[in-house]
Amino acid sequence: MNVMRSAMTAIKKFPLAALALVMMFTAADAAAQCRTFTKKRCLPQLDDYVQNDNYNTAVLIPGDEAELELTFFGDRAYRLLVCGHPVLGDLTFQVLDSRGNGIYDSSDKDSDHFDFRVANTQQMTIRVQVPETDGVIQHEGCVSIMVGSKG
Amino acid sequence: MKFKHDRFKLSLSMAKWMALPLMFLFIGCGEGQDPASTGDAGAKSETMDEEGMMPARRQKAFKKIFHAVPSPIETALLLERSGINFDGDALHSLDKAVGYSTTELQAVNLGIYAGDLSYSVIFNQNQQSVDYLNTCRRLCDGLGVGDLIDADLIARADNNRSIRDSLVDIVTETFYALNARFRENGMEEVGGLMAAGGWIEGVYLGTLSLNTSTEDLKLRIAEQKMTLDNLMGLLNSYAPTPALTAMKEALAPVEAAFAGVRITENQAAATAASDGTVIISGGPEVSYDQATLAVISETIAAVRNQYAQ
Repeated sequence: MNVMRSAMTAIKKFPLAALALVMMFTAADAAAQCRTFTKKRCLPQLDDYVQNDNYNTAVLIPGDEAELELTFFGDRAYRLLVCGHPVLGDLTFQVLDSRGNGIYDSSDKDSDHFDFRVANTQQMTIRVQVPETDGVIQHEGCVSIMVGSKG
Repeated sequence: MKFKHDRFKLSLSMAKWMALPLMFLFIGCGEGQDPASTGDAGAKSETMDEEGMMPARRQKAFKKIFHAVPSPIETALLLERSGINFDGDALHSLDKAVGYSTTELQAVNLGIYAGDLSYSVIFNQNQQSVDYLNTCRRLCDGLGVGDLIDADLIARADNNRSIRDSLVDIVTETFYALNARFRENGMEEVGGLMAAGGWIEGVYLGTLSLNTSTEDLKLRIAEQKMTLDNLMGLLNSYAPTPALTAMKEALAPVEAAFAGVRITENQAAATAASDGTVIISGGPEVSYDQATLAVISETIAAVRNQYAQ
């Protein structure tokens, strides 16, 4: 009986541990690939700006949302770039003030970035949506929210 | 019977340990190479392709919340524009870097040195900039990410020491790569502590000469209440650890000091200027008094010196 119990315990535990390890290393590899994607596809669009060094990149699927809150300093120009893998479709994003009021919406614009100047320092929230898809096979892809600034 | 049981347990245990290396072999691990940098343009990952895409591994949508703080370079630019004078004596001593043996102290002091590096770069202190980059390299070695500040990068910085924009690019690229690596390696705590160290050093340098500083600088310091809010959001987003808890406790008096800064929230609005530039105005109004700034200065110096001793 003890042998059977040990075997059952091992069978139950080992696949879970294996699955956890598989997921851990797959996720780590995906994260590394996202950095490569960001470096190649996104960073060049911030060429004239001083890039914020935070790493706001994640692997997202259709229907996902991402949100970033950041302080923008007065009398400074910014480029907000929402950079996603084309397989995810046209990402949309909104900029909200500290009270949650909408300031900008990319939905009716054909651009992945928003250039603006801030008159006085404020906290704003950037909200990004990955469009839903009715495809049989869903894909996941890297999405980066990047912020650059200049005088 | 006992013998057989032990053998069975042994074989299961062996199977587990034999399976682990095999799994490493099949899955692959470590960092994805940039094909452009390796010259291996045809390289493909078994998990996600080099363009950052693969079939989805989950079906249920979620919401990803990012927390970010202004980088030390952005803070140094603010200080410069606010009319602060460079004070080399205020920077953290370079030779203390060798004494930080714990991950906690290495991470926080990497942030502090990153603040000093940024300050030196923005104020065109060329040799000092290279020296601080070298010191960051030493701490990165201790944290296991020394390859991100290698000899080639130091040489590149040295060759471009008189070109501020190039040094700014080198610093921002390097610390972006560090933040990414900390995330990839499950070392978010280190990234959070580094961000805290960078923020602390920026505010510390900005508050050293409050009596003679411009009104613009005083306003910029008071506005750091918002970035402190961002920083606490970042630190609170991680699972608690002793080092993170210690940092939050160390920052508690700073938070209390910033409570004296009053922020009145108003609605912001975007308008187009005559040249087409979108300007976001309105938003919060910040008010403060000199006594509040003095307490901020005292408390930030205390937490900075607690870690940078």
